[in-house]
Amino acid sequence: MPQELLERNTAALRKIGTLQYFLYLASLLAVLCAALPLAYLLNRATSSDADSISTVLLRAKSINVLVTTLTLTAVVTLGAVLVGVVLAWILNHVSIRNMTAWRAATVIPIAIPSYVFTYCWMTLNPGLRGFWAATLVLILSTAPFVTLATLAALRRVDWSQYEVAQTLGLNPLKTFFKITVPQIRNQVAAGALLVALYVLSDFGAVALLGVDTFTRAISNLYRGSFDRSTAAVLSLLLVAISAVIISLESRVRSDSEARRASTKIVAEIKPFHSAKLRLVSYLFLATYVSLSLALPLMLLMSRFISNQVELDFAGLTSATFNTVSAAAIGAVIAVSIALPVGVLLQQGSRLAKLADASVLVVHSLPGIVMGLALVALGSQVGWLYQTLGLLAFSYALLFMAKGVGSVRTALAKVPTNLLEISTTLGQNKVQTIRRVAIPLAAPGILSGTLLIFLAAMKELPATLMLRPTGFETLATEIWNYTSISRFSEAAPYALTLVLVAAIPTFLINRPDRSENARESS
Amino acid sequence: MTSLEIRDLGVVFSGKEILSGLNLNVSSGSYAAILGPSGCGKTTLLRSIAGLITPASGTIRFGKQLVSVSSLVLPPHKRNIGYVPQEGGLFPHLTVGDNVGFALSRDLDKEEKSSIVDEMLKLVGLEGFNSRRPHQLSGGQQTRVALARALAMKPAMVLLDEPFAALDQTLRTEISEEVVALLKATKTTTIMVTHDREDALVSADLIALMRSGQVVQSGAPTQVYSAPISAEVAQSTGDIVTLPAYMSADQRIYSPLHSSSSNFDPNGELLIRPEEIHISAVSQPAGKNQVKAAISKINYYGHDALIELKLEGWELPLRARVTGNIDFRLGQAVYAELQGPLRWVPRKATHQ
Amino acid sequence: MKLKARLVGLSTLILASAALISGCSSSPSAEESLTIYSGRAEEYIAPFLQQFSAETGIKLDIRYGDSAALAAQLLEEGENSPADLFLSQDAGSLGAVSDFDLLQKLPSDLLTKVDAKYQSSKQDWIGVTGRVRVFAYSPERVSNLPKSVDDLTNSEWKGRIGIAPTNGSFQAFVTAMILNRGESATEQWLKGIQQNNPKLYEKNSQIVEAIDAGQLDLGLVNHYYVWEVSEELGRSIKAKIDFFAPGDIGNMVNVSGAGILKSSSKTDLAQRFIEFLLSDGIQKEVVNKTHEYSLVFPDLTPSGVPAFLEIKSPAVDLTSLSDLKRTQNLLIKVGLI
Repeated sequence: MPQELLERNTAALRKIGTLQYFLYLASLLAVLCAALPLAYLLNRATSSDADSISTVLLRAKSINVLVTTLTLTAVVTLGAVLVGVVLAWILNHVSIRNMTAWRAATVIPIAIPSYVFTYCWMTLNPGLRGFWAATLVLILSTAPFVTLATLAALRRVDWSQYEVAQTLGLNPLKTFFKITVPQIRNQVAAGALLVALYVLSDFGAVALLGVDTFTRAISNLYRGSFDRSTAAVLSLLLVAISAVIISLESRVRSDSEARRASTKIVAEIKPFHSAKLRLVSYLFLATYVSLSLALPLMLLMSRFISNQVELDFAGLTSATFNTVSAAAIGAVIAVSIALPVGVLLQQGSRLAKLADASVLVVHSLPGIVMGLALVALGSQVGWLYQTLGLLAFSYALLFMAKGVGSVRTALAKVPTNLLEISTTLGQNKVQTIRRVAIPLAAPGILSGTLLIFLAAMKELPATLMLRPTGFETLATEIWNYTSISRFSEAAPYALTLVLVAAIPTFLINRPDRSENARESS
Repeated sequence: MTSLEIRDLGVVFSGKEILSGLNLNVSSGSYAAILGPSGCGKTTLLRSIAGLITPASGTIRFGKQLVSVSSLVLPPHKRNIGYVPQEGGLFPHLTVGDNVGFALSRDLDKEEKSSIVDEMLKLVGLEGFNSRRPHQLSGGQQTRVALARALAMKPAMVLLDEPFAALDQTLRTEISEEVVALLKATKTTTIMVTHDREDALVSADLIALMRSGQVVQSGAPTQVYSAPISAEVAQSTGDIVTLPAYMSADQRIYSPLHSSSSNFDPNGELLIRPEEIHISAVSQPAGKNQVKAAISKINYYGHDALIELKLEGWELPLRARVTGNIDFRLGQAVYAELQGPLRWVPRKATHQ
Repeated sequence: MKLKARLVGLSTLILASAALISGCSSSPSAEESLTIYSGRAEEYIAPFLQQFSAETGIKLDIRYGDSAALAAQLLEEGENSPADLFLSQDAGSLGAVSDFDLLQKLPSDLLTKVDAKYQSSKQDWIGVTGRVRVFAYSPERVSNLPKSVDDLTNSEWKGRIGIAPTNGSFQAFVTAMILNRGESATEQWLKGIQQNNPKLYEKNSQIVEAIDAGQLDLGLVNHYYVWEVSEELGRSIKAKIDFFAPGDIGNMVNVSGAGILKSSSKTDLAQRFIEFLLSDGIQKEVVNKTHEYSLVFPDLTPSGVPAFLEIKSPAVDLTSLSDLKRTQNLLIKVGLI
């Protein structure tokens, strides 16, 4: 009898096997992709003599750079978490007019390239320099990572719990810390991790504001002395730092969440209407949006208008098309790899954990390092080198980490009960993932895709090296002009970049039909 | 429609035995209720039948088909069972109609699908709810949609996990009656897990009583009610009174309710339902099996009352259910008489 | 249904992108073409490139980028480089590529067009235009102009000067100083500057803008930045440039130049292109349009700056500018970067 059963099940078992095989393959691919730049760096680092490495690492300056890098990362991450969580809380809990517009406006700043953003601030105040200036600029430009992640989490917190907590005598602030924080902790941590890795890899802001971080030091080594070995050693050090930060983040994260998620339909959120709270909220939103979005945009506009630059419409159109297609393909590739990794992570697979961590580690590498690694590898394969395909792939590789986190947390929030119910309703694993897990995780997956898309659109160093020859994107055009101080000519491209970024951001933040239904019911 | 046969089922979670040596037979088309206190493993049993759990040992058969042999299991999506979990488990991203049509084959065309969905919604009394969203429904409506979703796939068996637990009392009776009538009308083999004895007694053709990972007794509701195998088991189907009793070698019973037996050494106990104790005023000399007692407490429920008695010469409390007009007072002396079957069970080994 | 529609959309996107990718990788053109890695900004060089294509029918595929980054890219590509030519903003980047033996030796008829001190000693790259280190200053606040870079270490300049120590052009200048005066003398000079609390910038243009905004009195920049910034701002600015005394190391000349990759199979076309860059018409245009000096016709002078021959730039071996490690170490030691 067992034999008979076995035979009957073979087909079913094989089907599950295929899925599992695919998940493993995708995770393996992610690990390999992340291993490419690391292998390159190791190769370069070992080719330098031990003496010069130790002189680089042991000199007092390196210690300073290390301290500066760590302090900047810590302070910016803390600041971005504060600003980001407050923004998300306001956007989710306070009755605000034009909510969709506000939501989009608080996310779009991540589409403005760091160097453009910093430049705008420096035009406003040419004396702006140093650590605290960089802290301010970086907090403003990275807070959306936290906002986006937290918003998704807040939407799923059961409102009835707030009400219960308040009847138990907790004031709103205590309610927030006791009820909300534990439930959004994972997403906030994921967002904070993105902020930290962004600060580690950022070049534009720290270079212009004169803050010595590893990324700036690495860039100087490449540009000044073509010392690829020492640059590789420093890059590996950066990888080590990010590995530490990633392990810190995974400690903050609790894994019990999937089990806690219930099938209960969550009670609708009833926004706060208190006039005082609304006023404060509007003030906070307005301050953030004007500092991080309106101000740079106005500066670009005024430069553009005052100089009466002639608009090259054809160039602008083709650069926009190129930017969108390369970034979109990159985002699709990245999410198609991130999704299976995320699904496998839910099963607690070690391979998936490795894939997750390695993708994140690589995310802290400066663009120029990733670019050169891909140049070294890509140029060996002539037919692939400097094609749109490789460019999109490098975007996927550079920014997959931004997606993996969102996908992971979104899938973790899908109640396991619903997946089980789907299988009892005759759906196999693949169908269940497609029909239940992915639709339920869709908001998180979409916002992850958006993050990758926005980051890819403004990417510069790798784009300059890997794009097909003559392929101009908005970012390269902005660079073309800013490199010779022509900011007024760069302005239309920067404005277009923000506009193009605004469209998907707006769409994703638009309340969907079910939420409309909630509001009316 | 299929029958269910479970033999020697064992389930182990992280070293702990949740189910062990469990046996259960449910005939095709009948409505079975698994009744037991929380923590006895009834949900685990249901999930094992659904295929959501891999047992450690034992077999599960749907009709003649083996679906589970020790740790070899047929995956849930191959079992054709309709599973209705607690709170319904509706997919929040789908409309009511899409939820109901979730399991329908992709080969069906749109019209066929929507006609099945309409039919199912009509069956559960939610006609026209197709485009609503789950969060717009009440708890009872959610349960009914979940049932419609399970029935739409024409399952061989329906599994209900505490389906009425979330409903308030009035709604509960109404909905459970509807649902049971529906399932019985469609002759669907149904396994319902519940901790509520009324739900079980009212609806089921078969009641399986569970205690710490095992089915301790199963049978028709009247049978498990009237012939419990132990006081503990009897408790789960209704109120029970136990009295020390002696059964002699010739099967004669001696107990405090037998006037002739004033002095005996109990070797077991008598299981008595309170409604089986008849009390009457002390007006004439005691009848053959009437014993004297004093009323120590009266719990009045309207349609009936529970009267607590102290038997003369025994320090034992006894409860009698009295219906109709109740004209007894506290402290009143009455006659108590056992008017029902004599259920003698031997003393548990631990008590000896 | 909605999901289905989305999936259809997604697959269409993937198919479309596949078509795009394959479309981009195949280049069936039979015409002659050259692939150029250009560290020269598109704005300045594109018109000349178009002119070349129009005149010769040779198609040019140009990859713009930062000179040093492009050099690093060429080093990584090695023999697999798709590039035929490398145009660089500075001698250092050309030198780095030359140090790895990735450049071809140029024919003598090209080399003779330019003074030997503006080309590689290995004769594998050649200077095309000259860019001179100068000081920019505010005429309102500076009356006593410095004669030498050494004057800037005097305490009268305390808190008044700006430099861009991470910038390649500044580092090239420090390298030249090390070559001329030796390491310890250069260290002394850097320390002297450091003691005057200089304001540090990332870019030369920021220095000029700071002078214009009245935040800085004087800064070390390349000679064309005042013109460049005023072009950007669309107005004349409150900053002027001047040279140090003839022969002072502060007047160091760097060049933008060109080299042909060894991996290129189109040596003839590439040489034609360099010849074009060195031709009379183009050299004159460069002087007019980008305000740089012509290396072929040193007597041509951009408007508003002194004649090239008057600068009397100090003798510097441009070939040695590729390795700035010593310079960077010194700057680090002093604490400027």
